[in-house]
Amino acid sequence: MTSLIIQIAVDAFLLGGVYTLMAIGLSLAFGVTRIINFAHGEVVMFGAYAAFFGFALLGVDPLISLPAVAVLGGLGGYLLFKSSLDRILSDPGINMVLLTFGIGLILQNLAVVMWTGDERSTTPSYAFASWFLTDDVVIAQGRLIAFGLAVVFVLGLLAWLRWSELGRATRAVSQNRAAASLMGINVHAIYALSFALSSAFGAATGAIMSFLLPITPFMGFPILIKAFAIIILGGMDSIAGTVIGAFFLAFVETAIAYLVPSGIGWAEGVAFFMLVLMLLVRPNGILGRAGREA
Amino acid sequence: MGVRNGLALGCFAFLAGQALTGATAAAQESIKIGAPLAISGKFVAYGASAKRGIDMAVDVYGGKVAGRKIELVVRDTQSDAQVAVNSFTQLLNEEKVNYLVGPIATPMAMAGLPAWRRAKALWVVPGATTPLLEEEAGKEPMLFHTFPYAYHYHVSLARTLRDHLGPGKKLAIIYSDDAYGREHLPYAQKYFKDDGFQIVAEELVRSGAADLSPVLAKIRRVRPDVLLGLVQTTDGIQLTKQAYVQRLNVPYLVGTAYPQLPQWQEATAEAQEGWVGVTTYIPGVKAKADPNYPKLFPDSDQWLADFKKRYNRAPDFIDVGAYVSTCMLLIAIENAGGDNKEKVAEELKKLDVRTMIGRGKFGPSIGGTLNQAFPDVVVHQRVKGTDAILFPKEFETTSQIEQASYAK
Repeated sequence: MTSLIIQIAVDAFLLGGVYTLMAIGLSLAFGVTRIINFAHGEVVMFGAYAAFFGFALLGVDPLISLPAVAVLGGLGGYLLFKSSLDRILSDPGINMVLLTFGIGLILQNLAVVMWTGDERSTTPSYAFASWFLTDDVVIAQGRLIAFGLAVVFVLGLLAWLRWSELGRATRAVSQNRAAASLMGINVHAIYALSFALSSAFGAATGAIMSFLLPITPFMGFPILIKAFAIIILGGMDSIAGTVIGAFFLAFVETAIAYLVPSGIGWAEGVAFFMLVLMLLVRPNGILGRAGREA
Repeated sequence: MGVRNGLALGCFAFLAGQALTGATAAAQESIKIGAPLAISGKFVAYGASAKRGIDMAVDVYGGKVAGRKIELVVRDTQSDAQVAVNSFTQLLNEEKVNYLVGPIATPMAMAGLPAWRRAKALWVVPGATTPLLEEEAGKEPMLFHTFPYAYHYHVSLARTLRDHLGPGKKLAIIYSDDAYGREHLPYAQKYFKDDGFQIVAEELVRSGAADLSPVLAKIRRVRPDVLLGLVQTTDGIQLTKQAYVQRLNVPYLVGTAYPQLPQWQEATAEAQEGWVGVTTYIPGVKAKADPNYPKLFPDSDQWLADFKKRYNRAPDFIDVGAYVSTCMLLIAIENAGGDNKEKVAEELKKLDVRTMIGRGKFGPSIGGTLNQAFPDVVVHQRVKGTDAILFPKEFETTSQIEQASYAK
């Protein structure tokens, strides 16, 4: 029984790391720009393909190519924002949803045309390695690396938001767009920067997913759904809330999967039921704030 | 009416007559074969393979059948059931095709079924493993199914594993919560039990799950001899990698169709060692040429070389299945002497050819399909990066089944 509890805890922590990676970029973009980016999953997918081709064609380990993939993702996100989203920022929210959804579909179909629907994966040695704490308790190295990177990303983002000039400006825009503008902050530039950063996190997440999940043009949508669930649980404008949401979801899913017969089939359903409950009881999520002007 | 008007009317009548005659002649000149295939969307890999096979068959046949040009009319189902309905309707009602080849995925075939029932074209289906099609239309005389159903997989797998491992072994089954896993499960239960296996675990996994650790931990505790993974390729990759990472203590690992696929093999690297799979065709199978149709059905090495020369890649099982199915249809049209679908159906039933995927002869299936060809599947095992063939006897390259590398 002890080993079962340890294994549940280990798996939940490692899965929480993966979920944090999936949601952090989306959370940042929404928290600052209020744009619900339905193309975020496709940004992750493109990051995964970039890491895959770096690995397959050039022999570059996905962890080595990760910074370059993140920079490319950031540039792509910036261009995307400036060329499309920036023009409809004052439009009704549904326009942004439709636009990002359309962009996601275009990116997905582009990937099918360019790379076919075949599954791919990077295969570095750590993706196949594990440690045994006991005979029954296993730690997968790949997931541990993902967990470590999730910690680095979150701490880095929080540090940037707290201590850098641009980070403080980003927080100001996030808290009150009109007041930030009156203080001389270029709101549109901050939006573009946040969206670029969000895409950089998405692409970097893709590089990590390249050795954890099969890469296909369709991998983005399930990631997007999971990310939405997490940021709604945690609070849509809170990075810390996103982390809590990710680990909360991971713990619930893992515990159900281990402890309930055929639990892995139930796990997601129960988790999303809790999400519905959260929307009914506390619509702003665990750490979200109500009534924010944006 | 003036002379000019009379001339103009005469010219118009002449041109209209020419156009009409031309159109009729063109219609008589060609025999249309409709191909509702997933050229885009999530089943695009299936559709692309089927199109390669059909295109090659038409070309190898010489582009003409019964003295008339073969016109291949492809419609993209976009891997979407609603679009598939439109594809079938267009092909059958607007293009008025008498022959259909495809689609591959069961949901697309099921979507096209109502439209097909109204038109009753001769329908060759080189896919649709889920027996839903059999239940709905298996008794239809114009349906020709040229791919094994799900239960054929388990008949061959259970027989092969029992023959190699002996009776009374413990079996654990992992199945996905999608149509694929749920459809395969009852057949796996039935045929493995019939062959003396003791099922010690049946674990459901969510299709697309990021983490299979809980399920693998449960499997580890019951210590089965064989693990059977009833999932599709994407989940098969995840299962294979995570079973390896967990160093799962199960000696024999068995999948369905995915261990034959290059994308599964590339994505799973060292974790693929020892996995057993089923397929209708695998490069390395040694089949002899058909004595009556050596150009269409040469020996398997020759056909493989021809395919690689044409497409610069190795064929997969759908490439071969679509090729063989189309060739058989064309031979039947030729033997029927033209575009009479009832006669073609009769000729197709009489046909008996030796192909790269075994004997091409239609007969009733154990599940009730009237016209079923190629019910036997090849059981193979990944050993040192290549395929060892365990079944059927005629293609066997090894008599020894290997344990998974980390279980040795």
